[in-house]
Amino acid sequence: MPELEQLRGLRVVCPPDALEAASWTGQSAVLRLAPDDALAIDATDVDVALADEHALIVEERGFVGAWLTPAQLVEWVVPHIEWRLSDARPALAQGLIAGVPAKLWLSEERVLLLCATAYAHELAERLA
Amino acid sequence: MEGRFVLDDRPIPYRAGDTVAVAILRAGEHPTQGGTVCLAGDCGNCVAEVDGVAYVRTCQTPARPGLVVQRHPAHGHPPLRGAGRAGLTNPSPRLRVERADVDVVVIGGGDSGIRAAAEARAAGRVVELIDAGDGSEAVAIYAGPTVIVRTPQGMLHLTCGEVVVAAGAAELQPVCAGNDLKGLMTVRAAIQLHAAGVDLGVAVAIGEPPTKVPCMPLAGRLLRIEGTERVSGVVTRDGEGGEERATPCDTVIVGLGYAARDPLARMAADLPVSLVGAAAKAFPLPPAPTAGTICHCSGVTVKDVEDVWERGFRHLELVKRASLCGTGTCQGAACLPHLRALLAERSTGIPTPFTARPAVRQITIAEAAAGVYVDAFRRTPLHGEHVRLGARMDRFGGWWRPWHYGDHVAEYWAVREAVSLGDVSTLGKLLVSGPDVVEALERLYPTNIADLRVGRSRYALLLNERGHVIDDGMICREGPERFVLTFTSAGAGHAEAWVRDWIETWGLRVHVLDRTNSLAAINVTGPLASELLGRVGLDPSPRFLQHVHAAICGVPCHVMRLSFTGEASFELHHSIDRSVELWRALMSQGRDLGIAPHGLQAQQGLRLEKGHIIIGMDSDLDSTPRRLGMEWAVKMDKPDFVGRGALARIAGLSDQRRLVGLTTPGPAPTEGSPIWSQGELLGHVTSSFDSPLLGHAVMLGWLKPAPYPDQVKVDGRIASVVAPPFYDAEGDRARA
Repeated sequence: MPELEQLRGLRVVCPPDALEAASWTGQSAVLRLAPDDALAIDATDVDVALADEHALIVEERGFVGAWLTPAQLVEWVVPHIEWRLSDARPALAQGLIAGVPAKLWLSEERVLLLCATAYAHELAERLA
Repeated sequence: MEGRFVLDDRPIPYRAGDTVAVAILRAGEHPTQGGTVCLAGDCGNCVAEVDGVAYVRTCQTPARPGLVVQRHPAHGHPPLRGAGRAGLTNPSPRLRVERADVDVVVIGGGDSGIRAAAEARAAGRVVELIDAGDGSEAVAIYAGPTVIVRTPQGMLHLTCGEVVVAAGAAELQPVCAGNDLKGLMTVRAAIQLHAAGVDLGVAVAIGEPPTKVPCMPLAGRLLRIEGTERVSGVVTRDGEGGEERATPCDTVIVGLGYAARDPLARMAADLPVSLVGAAAKAFPLPPAPTAGTICHCSGVTVKDVEDVWERGFRHLELVKRASLCGTGTCQGAACLPHLRALLAERSTGIPTPFTARPAVRQITIAEAAAGVYVDAFRRTPLHGEHVRLGARMDRFGGWWRPWHYGDHVAEYWAVREAVSLGDVSTLGKLLVSGPDVVEALERLYPTNIADLRVGRSRYALLLNERGHVIDDGMICREGPERFVLTFTSAGAGHAEAWVRDWIETWGLRVHVLDRTNSLAAINVTGPLASELLGRVGLDPSPRFLQHVHAAICGVPCHVMRLSFTGEASFELHHSIDRSVELWRALMSQGRDLGIAPHGLQAQQGLRLEKGHIIIGMDSDLDSTPRRLGMEWAVKMDKPDFVGRGALARIAGLSDQRRLVGLTTPGPAPTEGSPIWSQGELLGHVTSSFDSPLLGHAVMLGWLKPAPYPDQVKVDGRIASVVAPPFYDAEGDRARA
């Protein structure tokens, strides 16, 4: 199991239509955690404030993650998931993994496993 | 003979193909104390401890060399293995869980099961066929549906769209006087034992006789079985009013009919579970029993059930609960037809079968817990620093936190007389903004929001609709329409949901971002805290209840000036990736000021001296601000806020309880100690601390009016009821 490393990016909360129209800089993945909440991994800028002066835009350092291949996902993570994993790609899945609140960003080529840094030790120990 | 295993410390020979039960019966013994054996896994009459695992059906367990079988005691339960210290500190390895998602799960590999599976596959559906003959037993069906299967490799959890139960039918067992003797068996069991070469002695058959098994068929109805421990004869009657006839024998073979094997379906009401084949048949009920053991699993006799009936229990589900008939390891597979017959005879209809409960096979705790994880506890980014400093870490409010660093009194004095760091990263932190944010917070909180100036903060209670305090924290105004809200560590999750829910309910335009896991916070507190922070970038220092953004030791921080400890305090909220760097720099820069970290033990004493409550520790689920002595935090002149209506309604009622301050010469009584006055129990202590500064114990506790006394007894000692705070009543030190 690869080591969980700190993720950097931007976290944005604003109306869903503003997020839909947002233009990001530097992002490797944009995770829609909720209709009005996005986490853009590796993003350094976003223009969403133009559409909503009250948008909450913060640098996000509160997550750790590891990029996996689909085969690694099946081998290391899927045995610890009790819920149905979507076949859709790309997709964001959120729920307990090995009893730890975690997320999966699923694309055809690779998968990002991530959780709050506060849970990193628990997730790493349980998946080891 | 093929080999031997151990039964009750004696060797038992077995032949190839024997199950443990067959080998035991061949040796002239019985796997339990007696009762009909079915050798089909339907009943609990052959359960024993096998290799340390109790309640194993020995008729389903292949015999093998080295097996250790221990019969259960005649009365009571088998001993609980692994309950000693050694057992707990050397847990078994986790059991492997496989999970799969299929369209259809078919339970039962007989003709009907194979046919059902084939039909589903032909329709293009993904099918999993579970067959006990392959060593896989379906033990439970839960919502989903999710079928729990015990396999030779571990556990299998199958989620599916549909379950088909094709488990066949079980043979009825006799319920009559003497049905707990040794030497009773069903037709299928007799055939199996005869084929295995087991000598049945003089055998008689009642009802449908077995084929190819030497025995004497008896006509008439079974009345009772005679013998002491073992069968010595059987008594039958020819027709109603006919004569009783006694027949000496060694073995009684009973062919009384069948009952659908439906326990799995009976635990899956309202789920897409269907029965096929014999499992779906409505077999006739047996005659109502008049004597004997009806439920071997739970040791329930017909007399026990009759007594329950006489006590007024009429419904089958209630009779089951009151008598325990059907609550054992087979979940009614053996007793339910007889119980239904007994109740049908006493009422106007045949009762519907009762619900079965997981599992239909006795499973071990490891099997039940397979795939289940204990709660995950969070670590702050400073966890490693605390451990490095020798902290005793413990779990509080979902987090690992330092209780102390070896000497909580020294930590206390560092706060009171010098400067100290505390890790308060666990506090809930919400960022809220939007054109309606002031309106939302005015409605949520019982304090004023609109008049809070940018750069200022205010302490606030969070109330529910009943006016009960559910959390507390700070409201910091960052801009005209942007605020930071803090909450208690344990209450943060609920508070976030509470805030989001109300905003959505009101349809207000407010954005909410939970920063609890993304921001760390260090509390710099003590009379020298300002001096330390002035050295490292905080200039000018914010005044009490102000907050600013500043770089502290080069780390961008949101600095909140407040006080929980009673001394000048600054919470430095910052990104978690800079936390260790900030902590170490502060510790280094404060060395000459006597800096030391403090843990929760010291913090709880410090705040107690100030009379600050901890929600959930000093408050109850129904604590109003008045009961907590915190009416000052509620502005009833506001037009509305959550809980206002309830508080207005109860304002004129008398006070039923009150949180008070208490002092007594040390040592501090245990938290939870009862509070007495003139022999009457008036309440209990919620917080207690030996105050190093004051030289006596200080407490908070709940009192009922009797009326409210000035003195009470706690821990056998006189305690004075006083109004908190116990320290710096004017708050000069916090504002210094």
